[in-house]
Amino acid sequence: MKSASQVEIAGYGFISPIGSDVTEFDHSIFDHHSATQIENINIPGQDPFSVALARCTLNTENYPTPSKLFADRATALALASVDQAIKNSHINFSDIEPERLGVYWGSGMAGASSFDETTRTIYNEKKRIRPTSVISSMPSTPASEIALKLKAQGACITYANACASSGIAIGEGMKAIRCGDVDIAIVGGSESMLTPGLLAAWNALRVMAPIKNNQLGNLTPFSKTRSGFAMGEGAAAFILINSHTLKRLSDKNDSRLFLSGYACNSDGHHITNPNPISQARVIKMALKNAGLDPGSIGYINAHGTGTQLGDASEAKAISEVFTNSMPWVGSTKALHGHLLGASGAMEMIACIRALLLNLLPTNSIEADIDSTLGLKVVNHKNIAVPHLTHAMSNSFAFGGTNACLIISKNDI
Amino acid sequence: MPKDTFSTISQILEQKFHTPVILIKHETALSDLGLDSLTLMEFVFAVEDSFGLRIPEEKLDPRQVGITLINLCSVIDEIQENSASAH
Repeated sequence: MKSASQVEIAGYGFISPIGSDVTEFDHSIFDHHSATQIENINIPGQDPFSVALARCTLNTENYPTPSKLFADRATALALASVDQAIKNSHINFSDIEPERLGVYWGSGMAGASSFDETTRTIYNEKKRIRPTSVISSMPSTPASEIALKLKAQGACITYANACASSGIAIGEGMKAIRCGDVDIAIVGGSESMLTPGLLAAWNALRVMAPIKNNQLGNLTPFSKTRSGFAMGEGAAAFILINSHTLKRLSDKNDSRLFLSGYACNSDGHHITNPNPISQARVIKMALKNAGLDPGSIGYINAHGTGTQLGDASEAKAISEVFTNSMPWVGSTKALHGHLLGASGAMEMIACIRALLLNLLPTNSIEADIDSTLGLKVVNHKNIAVPHLTHAMSNSFAFGGTNACLIISKNDI
Repeated sequence: MPKDTFSTISQILEQKFHTPVILIKHETALSDLGLDSLTLMEFVFAVEDSFGLRIPEEKLDPRQVGITLINLCSVIDEIQENSASAH
């Protein structure tokens, strides 16, 4: 049932390591093709190391920006994903009142790649730096370039809450529409941290899947031998809009998708260790926000980073909430990598594809699932679910910030 | 004026700043390239890097109205000639 205050998803677009259109993306998640690869990094003064990465193929060198300034890769990926989302929406953006259009964007460290390059220029190459290095390094530049592109004059806000960034940005955009601040929100997230200096920093933290003798550890979330994640990059954008504005702006948009629930909370517990109590609480809050019972959820695209500690905590949280009606659970991170601040946005794309096709992507093809976790994991093959109506996407971040989104479909 | 100077500048404008080719003419004023003060700064930086030289502000202030692309080329050629004769 549609309600007048419903926040519709009128369009979506993405640039991902597993493709930049739905055909490629579907092929990857439903045929279980991973984009991860091993790369060896050598930086003078650091121990040589190998990392598992998933890169997007889009060339962003000299990428055209509304400001005409150099684009950090996270900015270029953001702009490219927004272009696609606009096209997908069939909305004529020139018909929109600029003050009613807002941008809510998430990124853990957009601009960090440019800052890494700047420091390399100063300290390594000992050359002068570009005059606008500050602007390309600002985490808020992707949102600002999007606003410039669309001449948006509503709120333009960047959420930098590590791996929950885009989940929060999407949810806050929904809230802004619900409370009447804007009619349309461009929401999503972008991330690109695959430069040598940033990879060295992540490698030092020892959260990525280890590589021994050129053999990558097990990336499969919720598996017995899970060992961490591969680092991904990319962007995903969504056009959120209230129903009456969509009706006014487009007669071609037959959106069946809407964002029905969102919640965000904090562990107040530890800077990196997850807390299942807060995670369970944020899931319950999102269900309440959507007005749904746990039994309504047909699929959870889990945060599922594939770390021992993270997956165990999330499993505990899910088990606590869904005591009587455990939904199917899976994660697509082993395929596109962990997109960090953009992970919530990219995994919302996976939820949308599952909802539209009534098909749940398998979490793995051959890995043994850790039965001690107590989850009903989509494993070994995709699962067809007739009339899949509600999917949940979790994002749990370093810093203790948790976000949960519920994406729904109108059955016609 | 060496032809290379103008073609190098044209390439920078086209590739890095996506300036429409129709605007890239000898007599086009820098202020008419559709670049604001920040992008003009980046443009001059890119030109300097490309030719391996520095353009002193007293020779050319890109914000000054009326300076054309051909004026910029002349300044570059002059700096290059002075540098060559100094060596």
